[in-house]
Amino acid sequence: MTVDLAIRGRRQWPMPKQADPAAPLLRVEDLSVRFRMPNGSVKAVDGVSFGLDDGEALGIAGESGCGKTTTALSLVKLLPANGYIKGGRVELFGIDLVPKTELQIARYRWREISIVFQGAMNALNPVQRIGDQIAEPIEIRLGQPRESSRKRAGELLELVGIPRERVASYPHELSGGMRQRAMIAMALACDPAIVIGDEPTTALDVMVQAQILQLLERLRRDLGLSLILITHDLSVIAETCDRVMIMYAGRVAEEGQVRRVFSAPRHPYTQKLLSSFPNVRTDRRTLEVIPGMPPDLRNPPPGCRFAPRCPSAMPVCSEVVPPEVRFADGVRVACHLYPTSDVTSDPPGARPAAPTAAGEPAP
Amino acid sequence: MTPATAPPAAAPGIQRRSGSAGRARLFVGRFLSRSDGRYGLLILAFFAVLALFPDLLVGKLETATTATGQSLQPPGGGYLFGTDELGRDILNLTVHGARISMAIGLMATVITVVLGALVGIVAGYVGGPTDTVLMRVSDFFLVLPTIVLAIILAPIILDIVGADAELFGIRATMIVIIVVIGLTSWATTARVIRSQVLSVKMRMFVDRARVVGSGPGRIMRRHVLPNVVNLIVAQAVLTFATAVFTETTLAFIGLGDPFAPSWGQILNSAQGAGAPGLGAWWYIAPPAICVVLVVLAFTLVGNALDDILNPRSGARR
Amino acid sequence: MNAHYLARKLAQAFVTIVAILVLNFLMFRMMPGSPDRVLKNPNLTPEMIAATRARWGLDKPLIPDQLIAYVKATVSGDLGYSIFYRGQPVTDVLGATVGPTILLVGLGEVFAIIGGLAIGAYAGWRRGGKTDSIGTGASLILYSMPYFVIGMPLVVIFAAGLGWFPTSGMTTPGMSDQPLLNQAWDLGRHLVLPLLAVTLGLLGGYSILMRSSIIDTRNEDYITTARAKGLKDSWVLRHHAFPNAMLPMVTLIAINLGYVVAGAITAEIVFNWPGLGTLTIHALSARDYPVLQGIFLLVAVSVVIANLIADIVYGFLDPRVRA
Repeated sequence: MTVDLAIRGRRQWPMPKQADPAAPLLRVEDLSVRFRMPNGSVKAVDGVSFGLDDGEALGIAGESGCGKTTTALSLVKLLPANGYIKGGRVELFGIDLVPKTELQIARYRWREISIVFQGAMNALNPVQRIGDQIAEPIEIRLGQPRESSRKRAGELLELVGIPRERVASYPHELSGGMRQRAMIAMALACDPAIVIGDEPTTALDVMVQAQILQLLERLRRDLGLSLILITHDLSVIAETCDRVMIMYAGRVAEEGQVRRVFSAPRHPYTQKLLSSFPNVRTDRRTLEVIPGMPPDLRNPPPGCRFAPRCPSAMPVCSEVVPPEVRFADGVRVACHLYPTSDVTSDPPGARPAAPTAAGEPAP
Repeated sequence: MTPATAPPAAAPGIQRRSGSAGRARLFVGRFLSRSDGRYGLLILAFFAVLALFPDLLVGKLETATTATGQSLQPPGGGYLFGTDELGRDILNLTVHGARISMAIGLMATVITVVLGALVGIVAGYVGGPTDTVLMRVSDFFLVLPTIVLAIILAPIILDIVGADAELFGIRATMIVIIVVIGLTSWATTARVIRSQVLSVKMRMFVDRARVVGSGPGRIMRRHVLPNVVNLIVAQAVLTFATAVFTETTLAFIGLGDPFAPSWGQILNSAQGAGAPGLGAWWYIAPPAICVVLVVLAFTLVGNALDDILNPRSGARR
Repeated sequence: MNAHYLARKLAQAFVTIVAILVLNFLMFRMMPGSPDRVLKNPNLTPEMIAATRARWGLDKPLIPDQLIAYVKATVSGDLGYSIFYRGQPVTDVLGATVGPTILLVGLGEVFAIIGGLAIGAYAGWRRGGKTDSIGTGASLILYSMPYFVIGMPLVVIFAAGLGWFPTSGMTTPGMSDQPLLNQAWDLGRHLVLPLLAVTLGLLGGYSILMRSSIIDTRNEDYITTARAKGLKDSWVLRHHAFPNAMLPMVTLIAINLGYVVAGAITAEIVFNWPGLGTLTIHALSARDYPVLQGIFLLVAVSVVIANLIADIVYGFLDPRVRA
């Protein structure tokens, strides 16, 4: 485990009282989230595990409905009324957030984990000036006086490249790109440990998208931000993230360093996903389409959820849930193509140890 | 037809439900599963019985000459709701009042809905300057308060026509109320129908092929109308609630017909006889409770219908 | 406040008022034998009649001369003379009764808005909970009750029955000689029940509408953002949901104002409150057309002005509209 004390040392605000200073930033283990619907319970997230260290950027990718947003929102238990965490642990600085009540988890919202939502037009209060919206958590959550909160809001706007005078603007007076920047400024207001970006560039055109990504990269560098970036756009993850986690139908398909996963994808779904993205540099070729549709999560198929659409599916795939295996290079895959006997046995989500010989079966 | 191409044989005795019958059953099921639909319907059924068979239930409508009781007696001695200042049995008056109040409400609703739907469909479908003009006119009517317009129009019309004139056996005063309610309520219906027509119009361009060659009247009748019928029905029920409410108010003010005692008219008599100040609660409670129940019931049913039939209402329940 | 928006709204209001004047004029002339019948008022001297005929241009063609004369007369405050009130100018008659109505209706609106918006907001925010069931149920019932259906039982129970309040009127006779404090107390005692009736009569509708509005607002993304900021639920309701949910209410409240003044007529009848409502009833039974015309004009124009004010207020509250 690497704890970057240098980054932790730069925190402006004290750690949570229950925090273990030597614990890793974030460890999510076996997280399961369900939604109660009138005709059944949707198993939106099923046994997802991952981790995040100080200063890291993790990208969560997958099709619409694969559970990436739900996973991120459930870190601070920000689910709609019919959603609930069925099981698992979310350990922030060693503190398990899952058993916390609504009142208790409020402490961690925005101050430790903040979110930049997509479509900032609707995510900002239309009748409130953006300066006030940015200053609000500083004043209310951090207990700072109003004047200094407002001043800080102006500074944050400058930090994201918006002129300070715009604190008095309303959301509809800003362009789409500026609104997204304002959302980022707002997310930084309480100097959080983790910022989650939920499709932060999806609604923007490509040029603005590039600017936002550059901004995020700069902030990461300068402020030592730890980032979770949720998107269906793999090129965004390729540019900005250190590691990537590919999700399918509520489960983790593959996870590892971006370079490794993208250059040599192991899971059939990852391979399909990568080949369905056009590459500007290589020759034109037909885009591959993944036939079929993601499964209905009220009644997911037994075994591997990708099996019905998988070109390499074997009989065992539709019967047994593929266990997660970890490769020597740190990449985790859940696929029967990679039996556990071939790989080392570190528990899921842990940092890669030195490469070993063939070991015990993964848990 | 060879057996190979014949449709799969149904087991004997099992009927196949046709599409529209199946949808109707679905609708009824959804409606009854809502508590507001259930209670509303129950209350309306009760009052429908009262309105349809008053003579069977309480005998003929008592008048000043046929009244048998003492003046302003509290309940007791054979009079379930006591008597009014003329000695009439209030139970008798109240039950007959159901028919009168509801009849007026019904006729007013018919006028409102017909006029409102007509304007709404035409304005929405034809669009352009016709639409603008119609909407400006309807805006004007929306702004005018019903009561005030009624108070102005009623005496004018009565003076022109004469208070005892009759049309189809209905006295002029009643006609005035019906017309006035219709005049002031059609605008809301028109607006609601119009927005629905606008969204239907969008969809219709997909069905262009079907409607090419048909005249606008035909299109409006055969394509637009079926798609807004649901909304019209829901609006009609809600309008009925308003109509009964308004009729009661107008009758209370004195624009009603003393010989046809709707609930509002009864309350008018009660006020005139000083019932509240005298504490004659038995005179006030029956018609008041009836009005509230009926208006409430129509509102509940109308809301239920609106939620089920109108896609845009969304899952607001 | 954007000048263009303001100008547009003022122009619309103006057009509507003109339309009302024309409508009033036509109705006036529609009756058989009028306006001569109106001027057959036995309380008017022949000189007054002649002067009025000249001012109203009754010897000239109907349109445009009579119309213009009518508009001029109206705008300069000449609304004719009351039949019932023995030749008093209509403006005087109206002036004497407007005060009590505004007192009753104005206060009633204020309380109903405060109460209705609060109940509706809490009911809608905790949708499906007990607050919602009780609040919405009570609101639906109140919404189905005309003012007098609320008022009459109030009189029976609290005035005739318990004797806590007077059964009718605005003041006790002979009060005007008493010290001001006593007068105020007397007015207050008379005000309670009618005010309660008007407030309850309005509250139901506002509560139901506000509940809808809050439920719609609750689904917006910025509410999720506010929750994500770790703000308390009540804070989110008060500072994010409520200001946005209020916007459609402003328009609805304004539209309602016209109905309120009119509907309060029935409340005034029940309590014998000496306002416009009671005046309307007397004028109605006496067929005092000038007064009725005057009331119509007053109410209709008030509604237009109320709508205009609402539009202006809306412009202040919703920054998107000002652009």
